[in-house]
Amino acid sequence: MSSKPCAIVGIGQTHHKTRRWDVSLGGLVREAATRALEDAQLTWADIDAVVLGKAPDLFEGVMKPELYLTDALGAAGKPMFRVHTAGSVGGTTGIVASHLVESGVHRNVLAVAYQKQSEGNAQFALGSGKGASLGAGGAFAPYMRAYIRTTGAPADIGPMVAVKDRLNALKNPYAHLKLKDISIETVKDSPMMWEPVRYLESCPSSDGACAVVFTDEAGGKAAASDGRPPAWVLASAVRSEPSSFPGRDPVWTVGAADCAAEIYRTAGITRPREQIDCAELYVPFSWYEPMWLEAHDLADRGEGWKMVERGDTALDGSFPVNMSGGVLSSNPIGASGLLRFAEAALQVRGMAGEHQVEGAKVALAQAYGASAQYYSMWLVGSSLDPVG
Amino acid sequence: MTTFVESTVRFPYKRSLGPVIGHFMTQLTEKRLVGIRSGERVIVPPLEWDPDTAEQLEPNFVEVGPAGTVRSWCWVARPSAQHPLRHPFAFALIQLDGADTTVMHAVDAGEISTMETGMRVAPRWRATRVGHMTDIEAFVPGEEPVSPADDQGPAAEPVTMMNYDAQIAYTTPVPETQLVFARAFAQGRIVGLRCPNCNRIYTGLQQACPVCAIPLTASHEVELPQTGTITTFTIITPVQYPGQTETEPFARVHVLSDDAGAVHAYQPVVDLPNEDVRPGLRVRAVWTEQDGTKELAGWTPTGEPDLDDPTIVNRIF
Amino acid sequence: MEPIAIVGWSMTPMVRRTDKSEARLLFDVVTGATEDAGITRADVDFSCAGSCDYVAGQAFSFVQNIDAVGAWPPKRDSHVEMDGAWALYEAWVRLQLGDIDVAIAMGSGRSSTADPATIYPMEMDPYYLAPLGADALSFAALQARVLLDAGLVTERQLAEIAARTRRDARDNPYAQVSGDFDVDTLLTEDFVRAPLRRHDVSPITDGAAAVVIARGDKARELTDHPVWITGFAHSAEPHQPGVRDLTTSKSAARAAKAAGADRGPIEVAELQTAFTHEEPVLAAALGLENVPINPSGGPLAANPVMATGLVRVIEAARAVRDHGRHRTLAHSTSGPCLQQNLVCVLEGSR
Repeated sequence: MSSKPCAIVGIGQTHHKTRRWDVSLGGLVREAATRALEDAQLTWADIDAVVLGKAPDLFEGVMKPELYLTDALGAAGKPMFRVHTAGSVGGTTGIVASHLVESGVHRNVLAVAYQKQSEGNAQFALGSGKGASLGAGGAFAPYMRAYIRTTGAPADIGPMVAVKDRLNALKNPYAHLKLKDISIETVKDSPMMWEPVRYLESCPSSDGACAVVFTDEAGGKAAASDGRPPAWVLASAVRSEPSSFPGRDPVWTVGAADCAAEIYRTAGITRPREQIDCAELYVPFSWYEPMWLEAHDLADRGEGWKMVERGDTALDGSFPVNMSGGVLSSNPIGASGLLRFAEAALQVRGMAGEHQVEGAKVALAQAYGASAQYYSMWLVGSSLDPVG
Repeated sequence: MTTFVESTVRFPYKRSLGPVIGHFMTQLTEKRLVGIRSGERVIVPPLEWDPDTAEQLEPNFVEVGPAGTVRSWCWVARPSAQHPLRHPFAFALIQLDGADTTVMHAVDAGEISTMETGMRVAPRWRATRVGHMTDIEAFVPGEEPVSPADDQGPAAEPVTMMNYDAQIAYTTPVPETQLVFARAFAQGRIVGLRCPNCNRIYTGLQQACPVCAIPLTASHEVELPQTGTITTFTIITPVQYPGQTETEPFARVHVLSDDAGAVHAYQPVVDLPNEDVRPGLRVRAVWTEQDGTKELAGWTPTGEPDLDDPTIVNRIF
Repeated sequence: MEPIAIVGWSMTPMVRRTDKSEARLLFDVVTGATEDAGITRADVDFSCAGSCDYVAGQAFSFVQNIDAVGAWPPKRDSHVEMDGAWALYEAWVRLQLGDIDVAIAMGSGRSSTADPATIYPMEMDPYYLAPLGADALSFAALQARVLLDAGLVTERQLAEIAARTRRDARDNPYAQVSGDFDVDTLLTEDFVRAPLRRHDVSPITDGAAAVVIARGDKARELTDHPVWITGFAHSAEPHQPGVRDLTTSKSAARAAKAAGADRGPIEVAELQTAFTHEEPVLAAALGLENVPINPSGGPLAANPVMATGLVRVIEAARAVRDHGRHRTLAHSTSGPCLQQNLVCVLEGSR
């Protein structure tokens, strides 16, 4: 293996909101990037390359925005790279940036992902501006129905996830939704949007950005000895599979399972449920939490909902999921994947504040996209060999 | 014979400008041009950051122009719908007096022969200014800015937002596989494309069997039954946005075609109340006809007993 | 860096308007490139595609294209909203990690879908430039004027570049525009955007391309004629042309230096010159003195946007594998006035 160690030493994000009408596109991404640089105690000049990720250009009406944002992100005189892998893009952005360090091509790399949904209309853009679309909720609802019917999960599981993630978001100063009075009842009383998914079981539409600074082994160790704990990338993987073919199972997908299996193998994890301390999973609709727990081998087939029911995935549970509040609380689409990856890193750095899982040493992050067919995942650790 | 489809993609975007661009746009409504100081340089139009170092710039604005010097130009003989003028004009890189960079804008010079590098130009202001680059209708030759007699004055409030309306007309070929479906539907037939290797039958947008990596063509067409079973579904409460035509909650069902193993995904239903939609329900295709051309309206109950198969819900595709 | 070589490639016919979808164009080149490399889709460990939603006219347009790769069982895969040359860059970085051996990079675009004058303003500064309909052709013409005014090039020299590349393109079966053109006649033609005439501007082209790369031992196992990637880098500069010196291309020079282009003589250079005047700018920035440029005809002969850069890599690799050159250079670019540039140095086995 010629893969070299890669450390995360800087993380920044915006305050995510329905409309960030106080900033330009450049201002939005710089808000996240400057916070990441400050965290890393680096300057723009220290960065060797920038990787930019976001979901469709039609959302904001800026084609290939890496061009306009080159100088905003300090990439004048440097390589500027643009990734787009549907909803998984934020994760892929982080992975591509980490590869630039792991390959030895660059030393310090800045990954930035964003979406400014308020500039346009996402549902409209999903129809490519030509007419109506079912929306992501309409597309995924039949998958969730299949999960519920097949596993016999009680109807309250979805609302339980919706409540848990929103309560976690109250502890995250950057989260978009702050629903203090949320309860199973208020979720169940909220309008049915894409049956079986209710309004409060769905992600919001957010403006926001996330930035992560990657560095090499020397940089990571220097940060550590300076009292600024890094997170180490233990493993990462991506998978894509076709949108559909007769017999394709879009609920427990082979792509998700393969992707998880690869990072577990790389990191030497044989009992993921015990050896991983917490996870940030891309859950834009409540039922996706138990679905992913199963597809990522964190629960047995048909048993993911039981982890939710037992409270295992709560912040104080045995396997916390979406400590940040997750996609259900903040969803700047293109950035949502990188936010998951960044939160996992914050956890193993011990820097997650009120939503910190005590003693987290190994954290999993995942993002997915399109018809549940694009996956990006990584495992980060508090040291290069934290797996117990 | 290839069929092409034309579609116009029109997007109404609303952009927030932030403090620096917002200030520039507000000043435009005042018929003033400003740049921002970055070290020794004055950058026009102003940026929030230094373009070379990315360092955040203090809001140190400098009034520039209004006249400037053309540093480069090109002649637009046939303007596009997006261009600021409808008649031939020049695009120019204009170094406004006091600026160290150039701004791109139109020069309304009448004739190409009027244009030359180094010429002096000044803005011709629009009567109604909203805080947009086109508040300057164009630059014109000479030193003096031009204001219309019916000047509506500056914006009442600082400009913070900008509308951007882009329109692109696309002409794209319809894939052969889609033509197969369109032809069959027009005749009231439901067809699929059968992979010659794995025998999976495709009813969607695939142009190749993604499992076997074999292209699908008209030669793979197979007739499918007009009956099937609902496997899974959703009831959608429509959100209103441009292009949305639905106003009431509506069902989308997945129909497993009888004897074929193919699933028709996200299908509409006919004469089936939302509360009666369920996995296992037997349905048949319903057609409408106009001028001899049929169209699949959706699926309606056959009246047969439900299929009792607890796993059928998994046939999403 | 790990030694990584190009071991196969394919491109579609380059045409003014294809009746095929991007997915189908890609399907054909993936088949072609894997066959050329003597492998099947199942042997490909990683795939990366480059395409653009605004060229396709559809959000998430690349999602359908995944079917071209044969992503079942699921594949390690990525997509860049950039030219396929950058997809190749990502694939090259991915293989550096050493855990997998074979990758494919693709680029696809149907430029015929819409009027470029209505698409390309969308990639400019959304506040200051896009609202003016500031299109790529206008920016190119503004840069050409800067060069003409500075005495760095003449209109005749530009016409000579057009005539030379289209003459060279006669031998390229993939060329869309080729033939013998008289320079004096070309100079009497109307301007399409003065100072640029029709011959200064690349055609509208539909097409796709794919390249298979493999790590050292695997490359040697697959072919007796691996084309080694010995340098690969890219660089950008500020977006607004108004803050740049348009007589030169600093980012192209930086990319060439980072790719080690100057570590030996370059025998052939394939540059993504969508406009004639970009050739002298890039030749100077890349240090290409007396080097044959675009013997394939280059983008002036065929310009499948989002694949044009990857086609340059293919043509530079072809010069090594099929025409006995030892060391060649491929270039790709994006953005107004050559804002972003990529350089790939290729070498044959000695």
